[in-house]
Amino acid sequence: MGEKADVWQGTLALMVLKTLDTMGAQHGYGIARRIEQTSGDLLAVNYGTLYPALLKLEQEGYIKSEWGVSDNNRKAKFYALTRAGRKQLAREAQNFEQMTAILARFLAAGESQS
Amino acid sequence: MKGLRAWFARVAGLFGRERRDRELAQELASHLDLHAEENARAGMSRQEARRQALIKLGGVEATKELYRERRGLPFVETLWQDLRFAARTLGKDISFTMAASLTLALGIGASTAVFTLVNGVLLKPLPYPHAERIVYPWRQSPPGVELGFNELPWGIIDTNFFLREAHTFESLAAFKNGSFNLTGWGEPALLEGHRVSAAFFSALGIHPERGRAFTKEEDQAGHEFEVILSYALWRDKFGGKPDILGASIELNGQLYSVVGVMPAGFDFPQSEQMPSSFNFPREAQIWVPLALSAKPYPAQPADLAIIGRLKPGASVQQAQTEMDLLGRQVEKQFPNGKGWFTSKVTPMALQVTGDTKEPLLLILGAVGVLLLIASSNVAGLLLARSMGRKREFTMRAALGASHGRLLRQALTESLLLAAIGGAAGLALADASVRFIKIIGSDMLPRMQEVGLDLRVLGFALAVKAATGILSGLAPALGAAGTDLATTLKEDDQRSGGSRTGQRYRKLLLVGQVAMAMVLVVAAGLLTRTFFQLLKADPGFQPARVLTFTISLPAGKYTSNEKIVDIYDRILARLGSLPGVQAAGIAETAPMGGIGESTVVKILDRPPVPDLQAPYANYTIASPNYFRAAGTPLLRGRYFQESDRPESVPVTIINHAMARKYWPNEDSLGKMLGLGSPRFPPMKVVGIVADMKHQSLREDVMPEMYVTYTQKPYPSMLTMQAIVRTHGEPAAALGSIRTAMAAVDADLPVAKVSTLQTIVDQSMTRPRFAMLLLGGFGVVALALASIGMYGVIAHSVNQRTREIGVRMALGADPGQVFGMMLKQGARLAGLGIAIGVGTALGVTQLLKTYLYQVKSTDPATFVGVAALLVSVALLACWIPARRAMRVDPMVALRHE
Repeated sequence: MGEKADVWQGTLALMVLKTLDTMGAQHGYGIARRIEQTSGDLLAVNYGTLYPALLKLEQEGYIKSEWGVSDNNRKAKFYALTRAGRKQLAREAQNFEQMTAILARFLAAGESQS
Repeated sequence: MKGLRAWFARVAGLFGRERRDRELAQELASHLDLHAEENARAGMSRQEARRQALIKLGGVEATKELYRERRGLPFVETLWQDLRFAARTLGKDISFTMAASLTLALGIGASTAVFTLVNGVLLKPLPYPHAERIVYPWRQSPPGVELGFNELPWGIIDTNFFLREAHTFESLAAFKNGSFNLTGWGEPALLEGHRVSAAFFSALGIHPERGRAFTKEEDQAGHEFEVILSYALWRDKFGGKPDILGASIELNGQLYSVVGVMPAGFDFPQSEQMPSSFNFPREAQIWVPLALSAKPYPAQPADLAIIGRLKPGASVQQAQTEMDLLGRQVEKQFPNGKGWFTSKVTPMALQVTGDTKEPLLLILGAVGVLLLIASSNVAGLLLARSMGRKREFTMRAALGASHGRLLRQALTESLLLAAIGGAAGLALADASVRFIKIIGSDMLPRMQEVGLDLRVLGFALAVKAATGILSGLAPALGAAGTDLATTLKEDDQRSGGSRTGQRYRKLLLVGQVAMAMVLVVAAGLLTRTFFQLLKADPGFQPARVLTFTISLPAGKYTSNEKIVDIYDRILARLGSLPGVQAAGIAETAPMGGIGESTVVKILDRPPVPDLQAPYANYTIASPNYFRAAGTPLLRGRYFQESDRPESVPVTIINHAMARKYWPNEDSLGKMLGLGSPRFPPMKVVGIVADMKHQSLREDVMPEMYVTYTQKPYPSMLTMQAIVRTHGEPAAALGSIRTAMAAVDADLPVAKVSTLQTIVDQSMTRPRFAMLLLGGFGVVALALASIGMYGVIAHSVNQRTREIGVRMALGADPGQVFGMMLKQGARLAGLGIAIGVGTALGVTQLLKTYLYQVKSTDPATFVGVAALLVSVALLACWIPARRAMRVDPMVALRHE
């Protein structure tokens, strides 16, 4: 796994956590759809990459999974935030905002100089 | 925290694979269903909906693979897979696995056992705090004077001077051996111990566990009646009672009060860690203040050892410089002493390992060679196997296995093999160390401290890994670097395997034979030495002789007359016992070490400066001593009862002395003087055969004997009794004890032994060397023949078809047999030739361990070469016979 994938996985994890926070327990397909829709279909990824990310979050204890039944009566694995996951989401969101703020300032400074 | 937790989850992910795989499959199936359903609702056909969902997912199998990588630890999984595969393949080829792991076990076992010894004796720190600061300043003889010893004792005047003036030492102490008769506490017992000056214990850095060390005041003549006990003595003789402190015990007829008990295990100095020029006891039991007198009697023999602890930061070199300076100062006090006050400051660690360092390193070298043989043997076996499996490897490469993956697989296999062999080797090492400890306890210093420890385990593992990689790499490289298409097309059976592979194996084999040759020659030389020693004439007849120590308490036997009188009475009693043939006494018994030596003056020759003066060992003996020891008289007469103080002083010299100092004339009747003019000249009345003192292999030094009846110099308080019996010596012991008790009930009969036992003990070192190297030789031979067998057997297998063709064309089976045998003989011959050349060089190192055998002994070389040739031919014989029996029809169909 290269560095880029890691960065992407990091952001993907944040999106997954946020999605589960707003929507409550959700299955993999639902999460994927939601992320796609929220991003205004700008992010088009293979849904497959979502599953290792979910596994990683589960291994880290931020989400938990349970087999359940979907809206249209299909058996599916549902993921939900744990308490640790909620804290992690707050932390990561803050980190991310800080990061984008710094980057934004940085880019703005570069523009004004040129 | 989170990292750890995830890691645990991943380790857990290694297990329950099937269930997890099933669950993932279900999850992905439901994902696809959900997606396809939505797509269908958006108006796609069912087929299209499903196809789009699959595309969006990125493929079911690819997702699973991604998921699996995240789930467990892929590295561990491949390793596990490789291991299982390796175990399966090794299990399928039992004979190969057995041969290879046995080879490794022998190699690793031997190297670990020897490393354990080297580790215990050479590498392990000494049991004293900051032992690197402990040194012995030994006295050296002046250049050009060869006394046979490198470390000499100091006298009282010089020692007092050093103890007072030296400043590079934190503590500097003198000590000498002393034995004490303990009376009034059960049976009288002879205790071995030392007289030590006050700083002795602080120089070693070990202090009594109970009580205290000696004070400076107690180290003064007249105040020295204090004693410190060893833990073992306190426990065994004094019942381990704490109230022993302050109690008085009677030693040599004097009351001594017990001031301390040393910690368990402290028995410094042990004789085996000390130069042989000092007669230290094997094990120390008590310590008493040395109390050097300030004004010593000038002719007091020099018998002191000095030990010092350097000040922190002071170097051995600094101490040496100071000792050199002090030596030159003290030299001025001795008119004839020029050159006799130089010293050599020797660190304790060097002293302890001393003579054993070189032999141990030699043995380590031998082990290295053995390990090389074992490794190349395994490499050969693995190589042969990998050539046989070439198609398999190529097939796997064609199916997509990367080179790295194949290499790893092959390496895993050989490492697994090394692990099996290593485990067996470790067990073997443990067993051999136990064995060596049993048979070798007398032969190496610090043996009781030796045991397999963690470092040894580490060494074994390192050897294991190195062996595994070394023997694994070559075949693995061969397997990985193949050209797929050619190999798949070519028929292995027909082509007879790769040429380079075969050549490599043959090279290994030649090397093995050469190395085995070197080891076996070395073993052969040592074995011959051993048998030469058995035949060597010790100068006495050890059978049916009992020896024991008589030690007179100085307090009771205060004058020379009293001492001579009691020896007269003891000898008369012992000599008249019915079972006794002859009884004698001497300062040192045969093979009981070297006693004193002295400068001698040959009276009818011009005086020579002291430096070039002749010298001789000087031994006090009794008239019947030579008869009791069985030492033949060559000329003249033995001592007689009539040799008394008032008659002419007489001496008996040994053959070596007569030859050395009177090479072309008759020594009988010549007059001899000692170093000091105070002693009257003595007349040489007899010449006896050379008696050996330390080992059967020694060159006998000049020796002179004087009789105890003629008031000889110096003290005669401790003597060795030599009793030749008519029957079994042990049977006479009871009557001897009774006879001794009748003379003086307080005299212990100490250190009873038979002369034969003492001689046997002196043979333990050569026997040990012979057994050890002999063992290596046998192992090396076995390994080389396994290798030989492997190569020839493989070659027969490879050439089955060729042999079939030859036979079909009318070749005689005998011819085929000869052809295979010749192949083996050629390899063995080449190996032996190289081995002989190498051995000629290597055996030079053995020179000092040989006795009456040249390091180039032709008999040994020829014998070993013949042995190797026959072993090699035997190893080839079995596969060659198989070649002879090849049925041409079967061979030709064999494709």
